Amino acid sequence: MFFRILGRDLKRKKIMNTILLLFVILSTMFASSSVNNMVSVYGGIDYFFEKAGMPDFIILTLNTGGENPTDKIVREAESVTDYGQEDLIYFPAKSLIKDGNKYVEFENPGLITSIDDADLNYFNMDDEKITEVPKGHVYFSGLLADSSKTTIGDTVTIELGDVSRDFVIEGYCKDALFSSPFLGNPRVLMNDEDVQAFMADEEVKNADCGCVYYVNTDNLKELKKDFAYIPSALFAKESAVIKLTYMLDMLTAAIILVVSICLILISFTMLSFTIKFTLTEDFREIGVMKAVGLRNGSVRGLYMIKYLCIACVGAVIGYILSVPFGKMLLKSVSARLVLGNDNSLLLGIGSAIAVVVIIVAFCYSCTRGIKKLSPIDAVRSGETGERYHKKSVLRLTKSKGSSNWFLALNDVLSKPGQYMSMLITFTVCLLLITMLATTANTLVSDKLVFLFGTTESDVYFSSTEKIMETMGTTDPEALDKIIAEIEDELKENGMPGKVHVELMYTLPIEYKGERMQMTMQQCKDTKASDYVYSEGVAPMYENEVALTPQVLKDLGASIGDKVTIEIYGEKKEYLITATFSSFNQMGQVVRLHEDVPVCVNDASSAHAFQIDFDDNPSDEVIEERIVKLKRIFNTNKIYNKADFVDISTNSSSAIGSAKNLVMVIALIIAALVTVLMERSFISKETGEIALMKAIGFKSRSVSAQHTYRFVILMIAATILASALSYPFTKLICDRIFAIMGAMSGVEYSIKPLEIFAIYPLILGAVVVTVAFLTSLYTKTIRSDAMGNIE
Amino acid sequence: MSTVIDVKDLCKTYVVNKKHNNVLKNVNFHIDEGEMVAIMGPSGSGKSTLLYTVSGMDKMTAGNVTFCGKELAGLSDNEMADVRLDDMGFIFQQMYMMKNLTILDNIILPAVKSNRNHEKRSETEKRGRALMKKLGIEETADNDINEVSGGQLQRACICRSMINNPKVIFADEPTGALNRTSSDEVMCEMVKLNKEGTTVMLVTHDVKVAAKCTRVLYIVDGNIQGEYNLGGYSKPEELRDRERQLNNWLMEMGW
Repeated sequence: MFFRILGRDLKRKKIMNTILLLFVILSTMFASSSVNNMVSVYGGIDYFFEKAGMPDFIILTLNTGGENPTDKIVREAESVTDYGQEDLIYFPAKSLIKDGNKYVEFENPGLITSIDDADLNYFNMDDEKITEVPKGHVYFSGLLADSSKTTIGDTVTIELGDVSRDFVIEGYCKDALFSSPFLGNPRVLMNDEDVQAFMADEEVKNADCGCVYYVNTDNLKELKKDFAYIPSALFAKESAVIKLTYMLDMLTAAIILVVSICLILISFTMLSFTIKFTLTEDFREIGVMKAVGLRNGSVRGLYMIKYLCIACVGAVIGYILSVPFGKMLLKSVSARLVLGNDNSLLLGIGSAIAVVVIIVAFCYSCTRGIKKLSPIDAVRSGETGERYHKKSVLRLTKSKGSSNWFLALNDVLSKPGQYMSMLITFTVCLLLITMLATTANTLVSDKLVFLFGTTESDVYFSSTEKIMETMGTTDPEALDKIIAEIEDELKENGMPGKVHVELMYTLPIEYKGERMQMTMQQCKDTKASDYVYSEGVAPMYENEVALTPQVLKDLGASIGDKVTIEIYGEKKEYLITATFSSFNQMGQVVRLHEDVPVCVNDASSAHAFQIDFDDNPSDEVIEERIVKLKRIFNTNKIYNKADFVDISTNSSSAIGSAKNLVMVIALIIAALVTVLMERSFISKETGEIALMKAIGFKSRSVSAQHTYRFVILMIAATILASALSYPFTKLICDRIFAIMGAMSGVEYSIKPLEIFAIYPLILGAVVVTVAFLTSLYTKTIRSDAMGNIE
Repeated sequence: MSTVIDVKDLCKTYVVNKKHNNVLKNVNFHIDEGEMVAIMGPSGSGKSTLLYTVSGMDKMTAGNVTFCGKELAGLSDNEMADVRLDDMGFIFQQMYMMKNLTILDNIILPAVKSNRNHEKRSETEKRGRALMKKLGIEETADNDINEVSGGQLQRACICRSMINNPKVIFADEPTGALNRTSSDEVMCEMVKLNKEGTTVMLVTHDVKVAAKCTRVLYIVDGNIQGEYNLGGYSKPEELRDRERQLNNWLMEMGW
């Protein structure tokens, strides 16, 4: 009997039940895949690090001939429990040649490592450990593992110093240390004999060779103190910082998780509406069932069985779909990481069961209304006898607009509760899209340029080759010569300008017994006061420095305190005068005054060469000059401010992809909600629709009136989302930027046209089109169907 | 007097589970301007179907209905909607109204929708209030529909049916849901309207209601079995005699 009633109900409300089922499917699919994704990525990084043998601390040095002083420090430090060491060769993009041409560009120097000397474990794309590389063959990682540029089996030439050798690409590999897009140093794994062939070259040996130390410790704090005086390390960080560089992967996973939570909440709202609507619609049946003696529990059971069936079927389908969907979401991540989530099956099933349990519990709470319905409701047509309940809000007599608009607006205002769920859904959908769009736009906005510790310049020319030329020599004039060459080139080509470059030095810093290696930034051609500071005043004298809040916290210092910095063996006190935000080194950076005597040859890394044209050209002229400069310097790595930010954060595309995915999902959700609600309205208002037709309303008028309600809701949702967009973006994205290093001062790039017009219009177009198409169903309601007015 | 409704060989068949149910079978009649015609007959005889088919709310299966010179069968849905809006008024047994509108807004809604008058909203409001005053419900203008009595609501429905000055009012048991006092009040207003020149076609079970009409059509099994011409009346005292005459005729017809 129960199942006969259930079967009839499922048939009668086919569309509404189908849409509910779709919501459950989507909720389960997202919940299962996103929880799995989150656990896989978050836990996966630990798993990958463990499998790769990532140590507690990593030091990267450049050997400039003679004994490497880092050897002694690492060997003798008491805090070191064990350590490993790999020799490596740094190389610029121009050293890689395919078919006689340079075929790839990358910002950070590439690293050549011998597999036989490897202290870290590397994995191929099937997650198998690489134990050997045949002579004359190589494995590529990071940016080089791009199948659009090379394929396995291709031959590439590596030219370093006077050595040029051909290699066959054996495969692509996963490198735990430098796989994240934030670090992005491509690695070439090769046979030891091949590595030695390059190292035998004097030029390579003196200028391009380096060493990486993998250090383990029981006391990281002590280790940092012990390593504080390692001279000119290019990189000296604990593995926790490396883990943070994978934050973008976690961020994408987190975004999908947030979308899933929103989707589940929207499902609940829809469920709540549908259940309440069904109960209102079924008051007569429920009254009759009670009149013939059925208990509340039995009547409630009937509805519970229906929703349990929908939840179970939806959960099974959702779980099945979550498997390929989850794989798709993890595709880009699994190309870099060795993901080893052994519990994915259990997690997926667990999430699906959780969705079912939550939905059923929610349904149970929503069906409380059944208790209130009595047999008398069946007799009294659902009227409770309550009167004097004001319904009309607007007055047609006072309105100037068309009757369709009036009826639509009056309806929305008279029954706000009925439309609240839709308003929330559309607002949440818009908020999700606009928040991600603003974040993506901010990550490519020139407003962030200060976060890289650079001044604003017309053009940024990134050249690893030129920087490596400086760092690899003992000539203190090397950088000046390169800058002069660029300036001469600019002058010769009719666009004279000044060139400067930000250099990074790794120096020891100390405050009240806290010691550590720190990246310090300085440019001889600018003033420390040219940069943006969050608090305090810019360093005005040689003995003044500015620190990021993260460094202040690590040292336990504050503005006004004096820190000790050792430069070339001489310890000197520096007054902290300001704090600033920085994306550099995840915010672990110090700004030195321009007069501090550091030698450019000891720089551990550098930003792009910044060009400021003498004639203050317009943006259009700058763009034209960028095209020209690319031709002159034969490189694509010449950017304007916004492109420089984009290439430096290397994250806008990930956020942009997440935004596109969320937009598609939001459009689907909005469309489904619209169909569900409009069909409910038509079903509920059949009598009124018939009455309107009876008194002479055309079908298109009825359709228009129904569609206008959604237009009004979209306008309201746009206003709400516009008002909430900035505070919500700030609330969530400030935390993301803080993880990336910028604790404050991020000015969001809000594109009004995009945020307040284009996205609302896209969502609005979908909602209104779907509402209009669904409202065409009112055509089937004839004017003699007025008996449905209860 | 010109004919406003001319019904020729009107048929209406419902198909339910492949079974054909002929509700109206070659119905022929006409209604002249200014007439007040009652359709009577036993339950299931096809009275309401006849009313809805003649008024174009329901589609006819065969035959023809000419309304003020227009053949309804040839009209599109939109043209039919225009005819209903401007030339027809409807009153139903249940007082169907838009829930979210006040009584006055419900009444003037067809006038606002109609393009015929191009009058200002304030003019429409004035006409609506005048109609309400005429039917004695002006104090309910700003009330919601659940704040008034059934009789007041039915009179509001009459106001709505009158707002566009229709040529014909179709009423399906207009007093069916009312008590005797309200019923008399409503019929009194309808007779007044008819005397002012509005043609009325109504369906009723009530002899008292039918006795106020000028003519009665008796329908059985989808066929008009007979008609009784009562003519007009000038004094309420005449009503008792008209009721008796009508009762006798109905008895003859098998009522």
